[in-house]
Amino acid sequence: MLTLADHILDIAENSVRAGAKLIQIFIEEDSINDLLTLEITDDGHGMAKDVLQKALDPFYTTKTVRRVGLGLPLLRDAAERSGGVFQVNSEENCGTTVKATFGLRHLDRQPLGAIINIIIILIISNSDIDFFYKHRHNDRQFEMDTREIRKEIEDVPINHPEIIKYIRGAMEEGLQDIEPEA
Amino acid sequence: MNIEAIGAALGLEVKCGRESLGKNVTGGYTGDLLSDVMGNAKEGYIWITRQVHQNIVAVASLKELAGIILINACEPARETLEKAEAEKIPILVSDLPAFELSGRIYNLLTSGS
Repeated sequence: MLTLADHILDIAENSVRAGAKLIQIFIEEDSINDLLTLEITDDGHGMAKDVLQKALDPFYTTKTVRRVGLGLPLLRDAAERSGGVFQVNSEENCGTTVKATFGLRHLDRQPLGAIINIIIILIISNSDIDFFYKHRHNDRQFEMDTREIRKEIEDVPINHPEIIKYIRGAMEEGLQDIEPEA
Repeated sequence: MNIEAIGAALGLEVKCGRESLGKNVTGGYTGDLLSDVMGNAKEGYIWITRQVHQNIVAVASLKELAGIILINACEPARETLEKAEAEKIPILVSDLPAFELSGRIYNLLTSGS
């Protein structure tokens, strides 16, 4: 986990395993308050209180191939290491929201990393799930919503190479416009 | 011992900052937590790390480190190389993991004394 994008992939994969139909990823860079906020919300099956407690324990996992699950504890560590806070809200049969804040200019804040590649990987490997990506940098904002794209492309699959190429291009251009600091 | 000699002894690949390879290495520090390196590395040290982001160049420059060695054959990011070239900070790459690389460099630096 060298970058925030690595964390985003990991948390979003939890959402996929939780049966989410929509995964929302929000990144907000606030230069004035020196704050970076990352929020991932899904409409998956959520967790009961006791399960949520366990999810924050590094020796707990829902996977059977590995004995420990480190996704949430590692994100918490990354946030706290840069002077931020970490919070998970979950409701059974409703969904889960993971929120982490970071010191935007803190030396130990991990760089954003290859966020476009991560979003593309998520879309390609989960073509039945919708993704809403919103990235705000002070007063500028970029959005990518596969629900909107699906309306335009009608019955062409979202993971068709041409559509993926279009999404990648739109994200490259959109992120260039908001000039992320992270 | 300078960085060039360390690089030659361990078969390291020089990525940038060739004009500074003659800098004398006074010691070393191994770590991936930038604030820890800021706090504990000293001027003239060689820094062994897995981080490839351009922030490593800022730390090396501020602390006047002799150079940076990336472990596990990691590729530095493009911006990292550009910044390092501008700051005249050598970046070298090793195939070894941090534990082994640190041990070998420690031996090189202490064998003469």
